[in-house]
Amino acid sequence: MSKIKIGKYTEADSMSNLICENYPALLVLSRFGMKLGFRDKSIHEVCSDNGVDTKTFLAIVNLLLRGDTKPNYTNYDVFILSMISYLHNSHNYFVNYRLPDIREKLTNALQQELKDLNKAVLYYFDEYVSEVRNHMSYEEKKVFPYVRSLIADKGKGKYNIGIFSKQHNQVEAKLTEFKSIIIKYYETESTNEIDNVLFDIFNCESDLALHNAVEDKLFVPAIMQLELIKYGKKS
Amino acid sequence: MNVHLRIIVAESSIIVRNGVVSVLQQININRIEVFEIDDAEQLRNLLCKQKTDILIINPLMFENVSLQQIRKEYANSQLKCVALQTSLIDNSTLKNYDDVISLYDSNEYIKAKINNLVSETEHTANNESLTTREKEIIVCVIKGMTNKQIADELCLSTHTVISHRRNITSKLQIHSTSGLTIYAIVNKLVELNEIKNYSQR
Repeated sequence: MSKIKIGKYTEADSMSNLICENYPALLVLSRFGMKLGFRDKSIHEVCSDNGVDTKTFLAIVNLLLRGDTKPNYTNYDVFILSMISYLHNSHNYFVNYRLPDIREKLTNALQQELKDLNKAVLYYFDEYVSEVRNHMSYEEKKVFPYVRSLIADKGKGKYNIGIFSKQHNQVEAKLTEFKSIIIKYYETESTNEIDNVLFDIFNCESDLALHNAVEDKLFVPAIMQLELIKYGKKS
Repeated sequence: MNVHLRIIVAESSIIVRNGVVSVLQQININRIEVFEIDDAEQLRNLLCKQKTDILIINPLMFENVSLQQIRKEYANSQLKCVALQTSLIDNSTLKNYDDVISLYDSNEYIKAKINNLVSETEHTANNESLTTREKEIIVCVIKGMTNKQIADELCLSTHTVISHRRNITSKLQIHSTSGLTIYAIVNKLVELNEIKNYSQR
């Protein structure tokens, strides 16, 4: 006999059950700046305590856990603005915490005597980080301001979300390549340090994939809908 | 990165389709990549896009898709077609298929059938070793030379250089110059101080 749990989480479900049953959802909490220690409170209660829109929270959680791409919300402005704050925190997390942390662990895990190779490895990693930085700063500087002005009805500029969605690339692909190059070519004793950094990279990869999915499957479609409402034309 | 076997499951019933996929997962033959398809249009698109080894297809659901047509259209004579039999089907129809899987076949039986078909398909070995020419080209690429410069240096046409580079990418599964640099250092194709970007650091 095997047991499987099916069905999506709703706002009345207990927050601690959600997190205990699905630890990756922990990341969604921290991106929204929500505090732990929520006792037996429901998802909705914890969200309101922390000033987070419950529907946006559930949309991301159900995308993460079930691949749901049809979130249930009616207020575009609230949904989109909460989404921006989530994405902004998420960018901050990758660029200022996650990737620097991986770099530090990587530096410690490399074998001292492989000097040239280590240089090349770190060069690759730094190049990758600067790509991620550019990618994310484009969104911060171009996409989010556009969306905010769209919500505030500040008139139609030349930009539209279609431009973004066409050029939005999969930022985790190069990290996947990096990981497989290390595994294939970096000859080293198997150490706890190298295992540790590889686990981190695997995790970071799936985090980045979720981040992209939130942008492509939830954020962009919502903006397209909003453009349709405001301008009556597809971008 | 390399997948040994690509299988398409073409069946319009989601229950049957998921069942087949779940059995394929359990029998766990080497590494497989499974694609689910529920209409003929998707099937055409997918076959156009990539090389497929085995097509498991319900003959009743795709009556207007003929096997000869598929094999001819996609110029893939090695494609093995397996009929997924969910009800009684005329023997003359089944004869056109390489094999038949039916609803009550056991895991072991299905595994044996797939293995049989696989051993018949010619396996392109995952040959990662590069030719001398390809190694020379890697060294040029990581030194930052353009295709034109590489062509001039090695007395090749630009077109040939491009095709070598494509082969390198597909053999190594490395898409970036900085990735190739790591490969080159590990394999002692180059010293780091020969490369401009790095010696400046």
